[in-house]
Amino acid sequence: MATHVPTANGTAMTGATSLVKSLEAAGVEVMFGLPGGAILPAYDPIYDSTIRHILVRHEQGAGHAATGYAQVSGRAGVCIATSGPGATNLVTPLMDAAMDSVPMVAITGQVPSAAIGTDAFQEADIRGITMPFTKHNYLVTDPDQIPGAIAEAFHIATTGRPGPVLVDIAKDALQKMTTFNWPTSINLAGYKPKTTPDSQAITDAAALIAQSSKPVFYVGGGVIKANAHAELRQLVELLGAPVVTTLMARGAFPDSHPLHMGMPGMHGTVAAVTALQKADLLITLGARFDDRVTGKLSTFAPNAKILHADIDPAEIGKNRHADVAVVGDVRETIAALIPALKAALAKNKPDLTAWLRQMNSLKSTYPLGFDIPEDGSLSPQLVIQRIGQISGTDTIFTSGVGQHQMWASQFISYEHPRTWLNSGGAGTMGYGVPAAMGAKVAAPNSTVWAIDGDGCFQMTNQELVTCALNNIPIKVAIINNESLGMVRQWQTLFYDSRYSNTSLESKRVPNFPMLAESMGCVGLACERPEDLDKTIEKAMSINDQPVVVDFRVHRDAMVWPMVAAGTSNDEIMIARATAPDWDSQEL
Amino acid sequence: MTTAARRQHTLEVLVENAPGVLARVAGLFSRRAFNIDSLNVGPTENSAISKMIIVVGVEGHSLEQVIAQLDKLVSVISIKEVLTGSKSEVTSTQPDYQN
Repeated sequence: MATHVPTANGTAMTGATSLVKSLEAAGVEVMFGLPGGAILPAYDPIYDSTIRHILVRHEQGAGHAATGYAQVSGRAGVCIATSGPGATNLVTPLMDAAMDSVPMVAITGQVPSAAIGTDAFQEADIRGITMPFTKHNYLVTDPDQIPGAIAEAFHIATTGRPGPVLVDIAKDALQKMTTFNWPTSINLAGYKPKTTPDSQAITDAAALIAQSSKPVFYVGGGVIKANAHAELRQLVELLGAPVVTTLMARGAFPDSHPLHMGMPGMHGTVAAVTALQKADLLITLGARFDDRVTGKLSTFAPNAKILHADIDPAEIGKNRHADVAVVGDVRETIAALIPALKAALAKNKPDLTAWLRQMNSLKSTYPLGFDIPEDGSLSPQLVIQRIGQISGTDTIFTSGVGQHQMWASQFISYEHPRTWLNSGGAGTMGYGVPAAMGAKVAAPNSTVWAIDGDGCFQMTNQELVTCALNNIPIKVAIINNESLGMVRQWQTLFYDSRYSNTSLESKRVPNFPMLAESMGCVGLACERPEDLDKTIEKAMSINDQPVVVDFRVHRDAMVWPMVAAGTSNDEIMIARATAPDWDSQEL
Repeated sequence: MTTAARRQHTLEVLVENAPGVLARVAGLFSRRAFNIDSLNVGPTENSAISKMIIVVGVEGHSLEQVIAQLDKLVSVISIKEVLTGSKSEVTSTQPDYQN
């Protein structure tokens, strides 16, 4: 990085101009932000910059838009805000990006350096606040240090395990004169991520795989981050073992592939959950043994040895002991593993026939499914499934958090990486609309659907104004069950159907189509199954404006299968009080 | 008092001499639920680098996990375990991925 020398190098300018020149030198094309007092000096040179600045309506929208942009483009997303509340409104997106390993650079203004520590107007210690969930952060009070901090921020955000970096810049550092000097190299004594795996670890990994008789590929979001999907497919087909893709990895391996067992975890398929539970080896690639995948950790995959490949050494052994650990970029790891495994299989090729037969039996016996409501109302799962089928596999989907998120993960077929964006680790309600905005900016020629809930939508829908004014024609499907649906589901199952504060009454208020129209979007509504396809097709036909569809769905639909929180994956339920018929399965 | 389940380890950690680094290290221990029994910070011959001597009480987490998490801090340059009660240093605790 930082290989070319910008023409502005050596020129005298303000710190603010130096910041903008630095962002240009870092290759930034788009940033999402909202000005205020402390960052105001930077907005003057932004006015003249080649960088497209998209003025959001709330800083949280800027943060999630940067995340959506990053997830689709693979480049760092950039957001910018002022001090105090502007900066704290970025806290949720920063935490979200940290949990899901999204490369992101956040720039915030800070009060003048002489005022720091005085409880000045709009002063917040954003460096202190964001230490726990930034990969690194900076407080810059010297204008000479702006280019170095920006160059390092992009380097840290985009290399190793990606993550968010915040650069807080005091207002006087933006105002003072400096000489622009973009660094030609970056050398951080405390940051040297290892990308190339050890050859011994690769040899050990191949040997472990060749010895297994019930291996499963446990694929996490790291495979998408590392652009390793093509290599993954080669490796999978070489071994011929079943694959599961986590919520963050949907699209890393085609859903249509016969070896794909689906998503594991709390709302995973019976085949995927059972594959992990019954395996004798988990080939773990860029995944982190999250509690939503493992269920009760002590009972997770009890007979499995663990091969754990991850770029973050701290993930090795964090939740589950690794029998063989491979630290490195997962694309390089898989690329090295392919010839090593070929050599190992030439000596000893395990017979996976019985194992695959068992898994395929589970896959065909317990497919994902849903009931159509008997009262003739709209099924939320059907709405989501039809949107996926009608809009096709090149569409990019984002979601909020809750039932609609799980259904969007279950009932849309993902064939390509970077087509499914959601808030996996953080579980941020309201992620969907602003992330879709960022995704559409990164891929203007792709259809972008936000599958949102009526609760989530009411948290961040203001960014539809931003979309309408900036020619960002996203499509939003509100799966309106007039509830905080997932919370309601838990109340149904675990709190004796006592629906404390989960009824949003969003079939009465707000009027979503009118709200959408007032924000410069096309507003549609659909309540009857017979109108479903033509409503989706109508939304698909509108490409010059954002579209919002209020799908008024049945309230009591639940997400199945389910492994209740804190229980073992062995206790997976395919419907209420209904476990799979294990006796009929040879396992 | 140390119990059988609780083991003390002494880490010599070289960090950037920069504002906020103590908060980064202390915050990491706090949020990961690692125990600090004692922590000392002092200068080194290089004014850009400080040395922390951290006595860690390891319970429920492995020492490897504490070191790996600490090593993720960009401000942390190196980590060595010092054998307590002895002058000899274990040199291999610096994870070999930090090359």
